Order: sequence, then structure tokens, then C-alpha cells
Amino acid sequence: MAMTDTEVEEAAPPAPVDAPPASPVLPEAWPRGTDHKFIGSLFVILSLLFLVAGVVLSLVMRAQLTTADASVVGERTYRQLFTMHGTMSVFLFLLPVWLGLGSAVVPLQIGASRMAFPRLHAMALWVFLAGGAMVVGAPMASDVFHGWALGDPIPEKLGLPGRGPDLLLLGLSLVCLAAVLVMINLVVTIVQLRAPGLTLRRIPMFSWSMLVSGAVLILALPVLMGAFGMLFVDRHYGASLFSGFTGSRGGNPLLWPRLFWFGAYPMLWALLIPALGAVSDILATFAGRRLASRERAMAAIGAVGVLSFAGWGSEVTNLVSARALFVVGALVVLVPVASLILNWLLTLRAGLRGPNAVDAGKESTDRDALRRRFGATPMLWALGFLPVLALGLAGSVVSALDATRSAHTNYWQVAQQHGLFFGAATIGAVAALSFWGPKLWGYRLSDALGKLELLALVGGTLLTVLGMFVLGIQDFARHSATFSSSDNVGPANLVVSVGAAIVGLGLLVLLLDLVASQVGGRGARAGADPWGGQSLEWATTSPPPLHNFDALPEIRSDTPLLDLRIGRPGTAAAAPGPDTDLVNESPAS
Amino acid sequence: MAMVAVPATADNLPVVPAAGVAPVVLPTGAPVPGPPGRPRRGTGTIGTLLFCAADFMVLAAIVATYLSIKSGSAAWPPKGVHVGTYIPTIVSITVAMSGFAMQWAVFAARRNDGRNAAVALGLTIFLGVAVLNLEWLAFVRAGFGFKAHTYATLFYLLIGYHVFHLLVAMAVVLVMALRTLAGHFTTDRHDPLRAAAVFWQYTNLVWFVSATALFILSRHG
Repeated sequence: MAMTDTEVEEAAPPAPVDAPPASPVLPEAWPRGTDHKFIGSLFVILSLLFLVAGVVLSLVMRAQLTTADASVVGERTYRQLFTMHGTMSVFLFLLPVWLGLGSAVVPLQIGASRMAFPRLHAMALWVFLAGGAMVVGAPMASDVFHGWALGDPIPEKLGLPGRGPDLLLLGLSLVCLAAVLVMINLVVTIVQLRAPGLTLRRIPMFSWSMLVSGAVLILALPVLMGAFGMLFVDRHYGASLFSGFTGSRGGNPLLWPRLFWFGAYPMLWALLIPALGAVSDILATFAGRRLASRERAMAAIGAVGVLSFAGWGSEVTNLVSARALFVVGALVVLVPVASLILNWLLTLRAGLRGPNAVDAGKESTDRDALRRRFGATPMLWALGFLPVLALGLAGSVVSALDATRSAHTNYWQVAQQHGLFFGAATIGAVAALSFWGPKLWGYRLSDALGKLELLALVGGTLLTVLGMFVLGIQDFARHSATFSSSDNVGPANLVVSVGAAIVGLGLLVLLLDLVASQVGGRGARAGADPWGGQSLEWATTSPPPLHNFDALPEIRSDTPLLDLRIGRPGTAAAAPGPDTDLVNESPAS
Repeated sequence: MAMVAVPATADNLPVVPAAGVAPVVLPTGAPVPGPPGRPRRGTGTIGTLLFCAADFMVLAAIVATYLSIKSGSAAWPPKGVHVGTYIPTIVSITVAMSGFAMQWAVFAARRNDGRNAAVALGLTIFLGVAVLNLEWLAFVRAGFGFKAHTYATLFYLLIGYHVFHLLVAMAVVLVMALRTLAGHFTTDRHDPLRAAAVFWQYTNLVWFVSATALFILSRHG
């Protein structure tokens, strides 16, 4: 096994505090090839490219659906568009963006110098790249028009020839494999490589959420891989597991959606869970508080992970037996999310009223200081995350309870998925980028552009999702390629299109901002601790050195940097401001 | 890992205390030297265990498909299909023996007994070859092709899944045998061998799950 090759040979000699130790992993000649920050950043960059592709596809779709009886694209092209849009958004954007952010940030948060299996991490990137290329190549080989769930219709062998679906199945399997490998790596890193004193209960919320998300993905994605594999066998080797009906020596087409959603439903939740963790960290940091109840927040995120497996049947339209059970399953997973939101609100209230840590114990009476904390760009993203999440949760309640099942075949489902999983998860990822991007790449993003991006992305998403909910109420079928002017769905479709266009513009500005600030170096230098952070990643330079830390502070709680800032007698009055370099200061005293 | 004594209040402190009234004064002292550069012991084993958990879910998807199609079929396996019990029984016994041989290698390595470990690993590979041989015989004697019916497809898929794992596991064990002969493993340092053993036993589990589905749960009622 590739995993065994990075075994413990002997304990590393303690690194001298003042001289940066040599790379513990690699020969000097190829220093960054297995660096988790480098590979993680590549994952993020790739995912953003796929996000652009996915959004461009959606804009073409919206151009088709803006006016009645439009003929921008034909029916067949439209079906290809939504298939590739969904596939790219989920498997090639949302999945790798968390793989990238997780593997770049988590080792820093837990005070590790590397991943547990650095070479496996590098390999996963190449596997992902190969899989992504195959997915992108699929529609060029032949038509791929089955929806991202590959279930409308199921591309089993009869009447659906062509290499496109084959390529798609293989590509998605590779993408899932890459994700499983990264997540195994990340989970082992969190379990084995935490800094001394950082118990599992003390790891930052984002690391905890990646641990939970990793556990879910390790169990959910292989089910998808098995399903893709069997469908491939059907198509390629003439088997009939998903075609024909049992009794005629054939298989069962009804099996496909069950298998797919058994894997895909927890996967969607697992792609929202890191957003919950990131927002927890960001809100607590800028509120200048610990989370109101850290234990409950950890329990809530863990519960979302466990319960995400309970509701898969609610997405399967032809499942009659045990439907009540799945309704309960789809509802009960929302409870811990609600509890987490309550936790956040309590933290925010405490941060508005009481003393805070960013200003080192001063009461929050200074309005300028308050504005500086609550108006910081990552905080605004985290706050903007809340309404989108709330809208998605509301939609989920209705679609779980809907007895006619039409909320799963009309635009209500589109709205629910775009609100909860794609909208909220994406805005959470952007919040994480604006919070940890400066740590990883050394420059802050533009504050002025940040507010514009926020307005466009959050506002556009809300507009789009609300419009989709209205279309759901009007029972507009989800894969319709066109509508007639007599259908009465024109205004809502126009709203969705306008919202999508605004999202597209916001995304464009965000990417330009990222390139200008990080690549062009136009952003303000981040410094070690630009936000008054609470956890270990802020105890090193931005960007961190190859080995991450020259020295670690002593860890006695879940917020070691907070302890540094407020715990020392005599420093509270002359507290370091948010832009002070804590690393350079702390070892000296 | 909790090396530092924790004040009772540090973990349950709900808010950051105001200046001057801080109940906890955490001495910073000299910073501890950098973070651990290399993983702790057992890292490869944990990684392999997680990989096996993921891999098992692929198998679970196939077995779920098998059980679902079976429950909807009038006759299962289809009429005229007789898979017998002789080959699966012999394979099961051989697989169980290989499991013991693999653990023997781990025990020997733990006792710093390289010679016994190498012999045990050789025996493990030999038993693996025997299992491959038997499974090939099962394919030859099956009397149906891959796409004859869904039972046939799943028969080849499930046994093929085990064959694939066995090939990988045998390659891993071969590397371990060579490393044992090269003297890489001692009482304190044989984590790769333990990880290989985890994967070998998991491969055996794949057989037992597949065989249970194909040969024991293959009848209605």
C-alpha cells in the first residue's frame, strides 16, 4: 500500500527554535511538490476554474429561459448544459474547493508541519486532474444529457449509445477516488499529527468540520464509485443490472436512483459541513469571543454528519416503502444545523455587548472598534452566509414534508439544492477564502471590492433561489428547456436570470480581486495575524514557511492565541492590535 | 497527547474575561520546539484502516444491488444454475488459513524473529496463489457467461472484486517479505507490516462477504 511508505523511521530531532529546520519530507531539489499548502492551493485554483465553467453554462441556460419560447439553444443542448452544470458544480467545484481549503488550512490549524501522507496527497491531485479532464471531455465524445444524478433517463445500455456517458462515469469515479484519498489523508493527519496539548476536543471548528466531512465522504463517495462502476459494466460489457426488470433475467432500473442518492445525499451535506465549521471560526474570531458553547457546536456538526445518512430516500421519487422514515430523516438533520445557528447568534450577541478578545479585553463600547470587527470582509461573508442558509433550510423543510413528491420534480428541488448546498456552501467557501486566503498567500483581498462581491454573490443568490422557489410553487418542471408565454412563469424566470447574471458578475469581480491581490501583489500585506485570530494558524507567518511553524506557543485551551493575547499579565492594557505580529512578539517575553 | 496540565476552568470558559479580572493566567514561557515533523507510530495502519472502510462501501454497494435484485426475482439463482458448495468451502478454508499465516508474520516480527516472519509471509503468498487458482476454477466451472443473467454478472463482479484485492494484497505482502529479508522490521519498527496485515485481513473479509451473498443468501426463503 502506498500508505505504508511514509512510516515512522525515527523520531525527528527537535528543531532548533531560532533556525528553520530543513524540510522534514523532501530533498531540497523539489521542495514544494508535496507541500500541503501548495497542493491545497492547486485544488482551490482548479475548483475555481471549474466554478467559472459551471456558472458560464448556467448563464447560457438562463439566457434560454429568460424569455418565453426562446431558442438560444435546442432541447438537446439544454439537457447537456444542465447535466454538465450540475456535474461540474458538485464534483469539480464544491468537492475540490473543500479538499483544497481543508488540506491547506487544517494542518496549520492543528500545528502540524505536513500531511500524514504527503505523496498520497500529491497523487490525489493528479487523479483529480485526470478525472476532471475526463468529465470535461465527456460531452465532446458524445451527448451527455442525463442530469447530474444520471437518472433522467438512466444511461443504461438500451438506446443510449456513445462514449460520453462512459467517459463521464470513469471521470467521476476518479474524482471520487481523489476525494476519498485526500479525506483519508486529512483524517489521519488530524488524528495523528496534532501539536502537543491540542487534544481532539480543542481543535478549531473548521478542522473539526473537515474531520466530520471527511468521515462522511469516506463512507459516501465509495457508494457512488460502486454505482458508477456497475453502470459502466452495464454499458460497456453488456450486463443488465440497471436495465430490464427482474423476472425477465434483467436487473432493476429503480435501483439506480437509490444507489446514487444513498451516496450523493450525505455527500451534499458533507460539502455543506465545512462551510458550517468555517463560519463558526470566522464568527467567533470577529465577535472576539469563543463560541457560546463550543461543545454543543462540535456535537451539532458531528450530528449533521451522522444524520446526513438518514434522509437519502427523500430524494428518490419512486420509493414507496419506508417513506415516512426518510421524511423524518430529512427533517432531523436540520435540527443540529438550527442549534448551530442559535450558537452563532449567541456568540454574535456576546461579541456586540461584552468584552472582546480582538481588542484584548476592552468592552465593546468603542463604535469604531465594533465597526472594524463586524465590518471586516470575512465577517461580512460569514454574516451573508446566514440568510442563504436559512432560505435553504426553509426549502428543505417543505420538500421533506411534501407528500405529492412534486417538490422533487419541479423547480422547488432546484431551489432547495441551490440554496442549501450550492448557494450556502459556495458562500461559505468564499468566506473561508477571504479569511484564510491571506494566511495561505500573504495578501489581503480588497475590502472595497469585497463588499461589492458580497452584495453581488449573496444578493444574486437570494434573488435566484427565491425566483426558483416561486417557480416551484408554480410547478414549473425542473428540466424544462423552454416555456410558453401562457404558462405564467415568465416573471419568476426573469428574476432567476437576473439573479444568475448578478452572481456571474460578482464571481468575475471576486476572481479578478483574487488574482490582483494574490498574484499581482496589490493587496495589503497580511502579517501573521490579520484578524486577531484564535487558533494556531495565526501563530506563523503569512504565507507560512515550508515547515509551517518555527515554534509553537504552549497550548492549554482550544484558543491558544487568545490565551497568548489576553492571558499574560500586563499586556492587556497595551494589547496587540489586530495587525500586530504575534509570533515575533510572544517568544521574547 | 495531553502533556500540559489544564486548569479546570480553561476548557469551559464561556467568554473571554475582561482585562484585569482574568481568572486564568496562562504562562507562555518558552515556546515548545516546532511541531512533530513525522507522524506518530501507527499512522500507516490507521490510514489503511480508513482506506478499507472506504473500500468496503464499494463492496456494500455491489452487495446491496445483489440483494435488491434477488428480492425481486422469481427464481434465484436462475433456473439451471448450480454453483455448488465445494469450491467456496475450500476457498473459505484457504482464506482463513492465509489470515492465520499473515498474523503469524506480524507476531514473529514483533518478537524480532525475521526468519519466521519471512516464512509466514511466504506461506501467506502461497495460500493466496491457491485461492486465486480455486477462484479461476470457479470461473471455468460456472457454466455461464458474464452477461447471461444478473446473477452471473454479480457472481463475476463479486468474485472478481476479491481477485483484484487479492492481487494487490499479494503484491504488498511480497514487498513486505522482501523487506523482512532485508531486515527492515524489528520489535519496535514494523508498522508497514501491520498495515499490510490489516489490508490482507480486509481482503479476506471481502471474500467472506461476497461468498455469504453468492452462496449462502442465494436461495429464497
